Amino acid sequence: MHSSCAAALLAPWARWAGAALAAGAGVSSGAARAAAPGRQAPGAAGGEIVLGTSAAFTGPSRGLGNELYRGAMAYFREVNDSGGVNGRRIALKLYDDGYQPDPCVQNTLKLMLEDQVFLLFGYVGTPTVTRVLPMLKKFQEERIYMFFPFTGAQPQREPPYGDFAFNLRASYRQETAGLVENFLATGRRRIAVFYQADAYGRSGWAGVRATLENHGETIAGEATYQRGSRFTGTMRAQVEILQRAAPDAVICVGAYAACAAFARDAIDLGLRVPIANLSFVGSENLVNLLSEGRDDPETYTRWLVNSQVVPSYEDESVPAVREYRELLARHDPQIPERFLDDPYNPLPQSFVSLEGFVNAKLMCEIFRRFDEEPTRAGLEEAVFSIRDFDLGIGEQVSFGPDRRQGLQRVYYTVVEDGRFVPLTDWNALPA
Amino acid sequence: MKVHKLFQRMRFGIFALFGLIVLSTSLLCIRTVDTELSAEYAANSQSIAKTIADASVDILLNRNLATLQSLIDQFLEVQGIRYIYITDETGEFLAHTFVPGIPEAILESDPFQAEPVERSLPGMGDFLEVSSPILAGVAGTVHLGMDLDLVALKIQRAIGQQVYLISILLVVGILASIWLVNLVARPLAALLAYAVETARHPPEERALVVANEKLLERDDEVGQLARLILYMSRTRPPSGPEALPDPGAARSAA
Repeated sequence: MHSSCAAALLAPWARWAGAALAAGAGVSSGAARAAAPGRQAPGAAGGEIVLGTSAAFTGPSRGLGNELYRGAMAYFREVNDSGGVNGRRIALKLYDDGYQPDPCVQNTLKLMLEDQVFLLFGYVGTPTVTRVLPMLKKFQEERIYMFFPFTGAQPQREPPYGDFAFNLRASYRQETAGLVENFLATGRRRIAVFYQADAYGRSGWAGVRATLENHGETIAGEATYQRGSRFTGTMRAQVEILQRAAPDAVICVGAYAACAAFARDAIDLGLRVPIANLSFVGSENLVNLLSEGRDDPETYTRWLVNSQVVPSYEDESVPAVREYRELLARHDPQIPERFLDDPYNPLPQSFVSLEGFVNAKLMCEIFRRFDEEPTRAGLEEAVFSIRDFDLGIGEQVSFGPDRRQGLQRVYYTVVEDGRFVPLTDWNALPA
Repeated sequence: MKVHKLFQRMRFGIFALFGLIVLSTSLLCIRTVDTELSAEYAANSQSIAKTIADASVDILLNRNLATLQSLIDQFLEVQGIRYIYITDETGEFLAHTFVPGIPEAILESDPFQAEPVERSLPGMGDFLEVSSPILAGVAGTVHLGMDLDLVALKIQRAIGQQVYLISILLVVGILASIWLVNLVARPLAALLAYAVETARHPPEERALVVANEKLLERDDEVGQLARLILYMSRTRPPSGPEALPDPGAARSAA
């Protein structure tokens, strides 16, 4: 009798282990790439190139998936209205994963095996992407690449999965390094980290730790939160942990709802130091949560310092920004009805949608590099042909076998009058 | 007429015997389930920790902490595992699953602890922490906390199910034994009634006492006794009052 009880107790572990072993077996099979040149590429047959997306269209982080999609669609619609890329329209096959790894894995399987998309595009998040990467290796004979995920984590930039992804944005390592360097340069040596308890948070934490280590410093204090936390929740326990470390600055590695809750509780509890956020946070949603319904909207936002991986969407001196604003206003892409359990108010402009826009712009440029029908086998060559390409954002984009990240620059912003403006003087941050 | 005294003792004996069986079986079951399931949980925790340790080597050597975190997050989905943390060869925490932060008790513990240890973490519960070295310990150590409260709950549930089954068997056994005793008692009572009725009559009238036909037709000992009484009642008793049975004594026996 008790052996059956034990079997029942251990059944979840056994199931999990079975799945893990199956995945591991797939990953370690290491079959050589052998895509047949000239074979008609799935997802690019006929007059359409189908890209597959799994992103957060619902849940507390839906603002990220929604805005990234809107920015990309603004460009794709313009291209499609103008006859497509070499006569081929761009279509997106969308699935919602709610920023959760397991649904993302299931969605990716569907995109690859059932929908037969040409490539994966516009994924959102580190915990989701890191779980999908082994699948790309498993199906490496199919040469399914992931393009421009909305994450700056290292796993898709390094072996063993770096060969299966192309990144456009700067990495979290670069963002955190810049933040730490600037804080240290202005005498803020005690740097604490508030981060999401997952691969994304760990990626940012590792970036902060590495840079501090280079300067002979260590992380002054750290606190975590559960992915999916909402603004209505409390972060007081986390604030109290960090208060004990008496930091000079806090770097947050999270999504907007949780980071806004942390900033609110930190200021309310007297932890009044610069609170930095990475580009993934969703800056506008962060500020909206912290400002809405307040007599003094800057009560909390004056402490924010946000790193960005695209220039300010307010800066119309940047050609790509002008184009982005014009096309976003013209096409005003809406989120598909099936994802709208709750009403969603799109942002007029945002860093996230601008990133989606430049992602789409570069994607189309890569498709233009094909003389004939795009093939998966030819994708890598097409990407590597991008050398010193001007996307119109003030930084040349280059790719190569040893360079799978197009952009390197990080921008730093603060909030003034409810808008993000470039941070010009780190010494002027509130103390 | 009922045959009380004889069967009351028998029923008591049956209750006592069944009670003893249930008690001893339950105690044995509790001890076995508790000991073996606890050991099995500990062994499985240890093997999970070793699995993580083995899978972490390349990741750690590549300093890919996001992937390391992703790995331990997946293992956290296994039922009963409440926390995992990985320390490097210097004892620094490289990845963990604690929210809102690493508990003081763990920060102050020995990061190279190899033996299983029971921990009580304020606000979290009681845990059995097992560890497994990564690359023989030169790359770090994996620590894994199994929720002892959950394990205890599972064990209690398993024991409860077994005791529940044994209790059902006890009740069924007792009811069955009562039914079986009654099966014997009913013809015995009828036989006794027949014997008493026969004894109440004077010897010359005993042959007129009507015997229960069903009793006489039985092919068991009760039927044989009934037929013997009938035979004796129809057989002329030896002369002399001392040879006759005492009807008063027969009545009091009834």
